[in-house]
Amino acid sequence: MDFEIEYSTEQERFRAEVRSFLEANVPAAMVTTAAVESYTAEQYRMQRDLGRKMGVRGWLYPQFPQEYGGGGLDLDHVIILDEELERLGLHLPPYYDSGGKMGGPTILVWGTEEQKQHFLPPIFKGEVRTWQLLTEPGAGSDLAGVTTRAIRDGDDYVVNGQKVFVGSNNGAEWMWTIAVTDPEGPRHKNLSWFMIDSSLPGITMQPLELLTASGGEAGSASGEKQSVFFDDVRVPANCLVGGENNGWTVASTHLEVEHGGTGNIGRSRMREALFEHCRTHQLDGRPMTEDPDIRELLMDLYVDTEITRLYGLRNYYLAYAKKARTYEGPQYSAHRKTSNLKLTRTVQQILGYYALTTDPEYLVGEGHIEFMQRAGIVGTHPGGTIEVQKLIMARRIGIGSTPREKAGDLG
Amino acid sequence: MDLSLNEHQTMLKNAAANFMERECPKNVLLQLDKHETGAPPELWHKIAELGWLGMLIPAQYGGSGSSFSDAAVLYQELGKGPLPGPHLSSAVLGALTVLEAGSEEQRRAILPRVADGVQVLTLAVLEPERRWGPDAVQLTAARSGGTFTLNGLKVFVHDALAATHFICAVRTTPGSSGAEGISLALVDRSLPGVSVRPLKGFMGWVGEVRFDGVQVPESSVLGALGGGWAALDRAIERALPILAAYQVGGCEAVFQMSVEYSRTRIQFSQPIGRFQRVQDHIIEITNAMDAARWVTNEALWKLDAGRDAASSVHMAKVVASDGYYTACNHAHEVHAGIGVSWEYGLNLHTRMSRTLYSHLGDPRYHKRRMAEALL
Ligand SMILES: Cc1cc2nc3c(=O)[nH]c(=O)nc-3n(C[C@H](O)[C@H](O)[C@H](O)COP(=O)(O)OP(=O)(O)OC[C@H]3O[C@@H](n4cnc5c(N)ncnc54)[C@H](O)[C@@H]3O)c2cc1C
Repeated sequence: MDFEIEYSTEQERFRAEVRSFLEANVPAAMVTTAAVESYTAEQYRMQRDLGRKMGVRGWLYPQFPQEYGGGGLDLDHVIILDEELERLGLHLPPYYDSGGKMGGPTILVWGTEEQKQHFLPPIFKGEVRTWQLLTEPGAGSDLAGVTTRAIRDGDDYVVNGQKVFVGSNNGAEWMWTIAVTDPEGPRHKNLSWFMIDSSLPGITMQPLELLTASGGEAGSASGEKQSVFFDDVRVPANCLVGGENNGWTVASTHLEVEHGGTGNIGRSRMREALFEHCRTHQLDGRPMTEDPDIRELLMDLYVDTEITRLYGLRNYYLAYAKKARTYEGPQYSAHRKTSNLKLTRTVQQILGYYALTTDPEYLVGEGHIEFMQRAGIVGTHPGGTIEVQKLIMARRIGIGSTPREKAGDLG
Repeated sequence: MDLSLNEHQTMLKNAAANFMERECPKNVLLQLDKHETGAPPELWHKIAELGWLGMLIPAQYGGSGSSFSDAAVLYQELGKGPLPGPHLSSAVLGALTVLEAGSEEQRRAILPRVADGVQVLTLAVLEPERRWGPDAVQLTAARSGGTFTLNGLKVFVHDALAATHFICAVRTTPGSSGAEGISLALVDRSLPGVSVRPLKGFMGWVGEVRFDGVQVPESSVLGALGGGWAALDRAIERALPILAAYQVGGCEAVFQMSVEYSRTRIQFSQPIGRFQRVQDHIIEITNAMDAARWVTNEALWKLDAGRDAASSVHMAKVVASDGYYTACNHAHEVHAGIGVSWEYGLNLHTRMSRTLYSHLGDPRYHKRRMAEALL
């Protein structure tokens, strides 16, 4: 076993190339070290610009096949891209794009050749950005219980229904969803998966005011969430991916990604900000890091965030090395969610009111700490609650039942 | 032994519950959430008229001299909202501090106005980079003739924007440390050199108060010079179970919300309350609520019965602060998405639980105080 990533000369060459590209193409105004809850329209435009430029080189979705607009790059190169973007506080892609991250692999696994040619290049090249529209007022954890209908009528499906807690505040060119195509059909066999052009007539939205709109670290912020309404929206039949009434099986691919199956190699900015604050600030006239209570609390936090990091690293390795996985995705997700919620209190014990404030005079870590106080709560819900993650773990470990449930197909 | 409410307390509880239902339904609480002080004048006057701001003030100073247990019955109902506003800061912490620290003359001058709601008090103790305790007080009050000049900064002052007067903990003995040499100055907010601003974030109605060469007469020092911390500490020890009762009320509200939601929210064709994982969350809320309730009730009884309450009152703050925090966390897990939307109202409790967690010292501080009393 070797935890150290040893960089080859080729990787170092690639790093230099990526770094000089980013230096030339990432405007200073786009990079912000402060906690960002909602990008300005201008920042968002810059992110999309960068996305398109990266897309041209296949760097936006580097691990996906070149023939569909991806980079066709191996793990060695993907890691470099991830690391170099990380240095700037950016992500791959540099804007919230559930369509590429989750919809991309889904179409790759389930789309016809024609659909792959049609849908994937615009996504992988950053020309369109897409939202994931799964949750409904009556269907959250019970995703298979969605009631939005898509009824075939000639060459179209006519879509009616409502989705909630979706999207962000800057709009999207496309949206993907699952909807009931066979109202009489049995559960799990009545749904189909669609990629929908969001400019179609009959689609409207309403913003939702939430404690935060993003459950991750600040910077991956998606602004606000929306309710999206479909009112007799005519969606061309060739937007149905993976076969009529096969939507539940199709969804297993993106659910696997969302449940943490692809892992993560990011670092914890929240933790860095907190440690830095404690190293440089005093409490009752002595350095915070000399206080025995604070030292212990910081180590509690360190342990939990290290476990999160290692689960993420393991899953990242398993996914890209195409190794067998079972419960690792939901395990990562459940641990991250549980510990982030628990650590909000640890951080308040360390910082007191400083943990809670956004006041420029008193905030900690440029707002990352106050943000985590809210995101630690909110982040337990998106992409499946902790309970649902545990449920999936149990099925995949095989607790009390044979056969074991399989992990979703990542292609 | 009798652990039930007496007749008078039951009436008070019902009256408070009716008031909350009538005057502060959810839509009003959501409006108050965005209000600068959390207490618009009309609402504040109604509360004052009901006599709720004078409960802990003895009759000779214009209050009703109720027991701690009675006041806690009210606060438990207010906590269910949670009803914001400076009632705890002024009518509990402020009034008890004036009672403990003030001279007879000061009590007569101040307390009737607090009971009427005309004068709104709050404690200004904590300073930057300090944790709760006497060493938090560094702000100096230099004496010259008959006046003190205050220079310094108080932070995370609860209800700073609602207050008409600050009970400001200051160092009147230069070079002193710890509990020695601290005095309590009553500072009129309208004095030159006092500036107040809100501190925003995931907390409610907390502010910064700056004292810039503020001149106060010697007569505004409450009680004896240099004896401020001891008096403040006595007042706070009596106020803690009332604050805890408010947190218990908060636990009750999120308990009720969660039970109700678990019955009505259907997923997988059944109420989510059928899932053992959801049941576990509600069991945790129930335990947090009842632990806080009984620790608080016993502390209140000890105060009213004149028993040694030192470890109990600090334990009430420990268990109720942790309990309210815990209850809100589990309530969020029960509710998932809907619970983090502003309109739903759970966030009001979550934010309050965070704000009160650090108020007057967090659970670690109060465990240290318990240890002092018990070991
Ligand atoms: C910030 C944020 C961003 C989001 N982004 C998106 C998005 O981009 N796209 C999208 O489609 N959705 C999104 N969502 C919605 C999210 O996926 C749902 O909130 C989540 O799946 C839970 O569904 P729910 O809120 O309806 O809760 P419910 O499913 O109603 O759950 C309520 C409670 O019941 C429990 N429960 C339910 N079923 C079971 C079971 N079988 N066993 C045990 N316990 C159970 C849950 O764990 C929870 O405790 C987002 C949500 C948030 C908060």
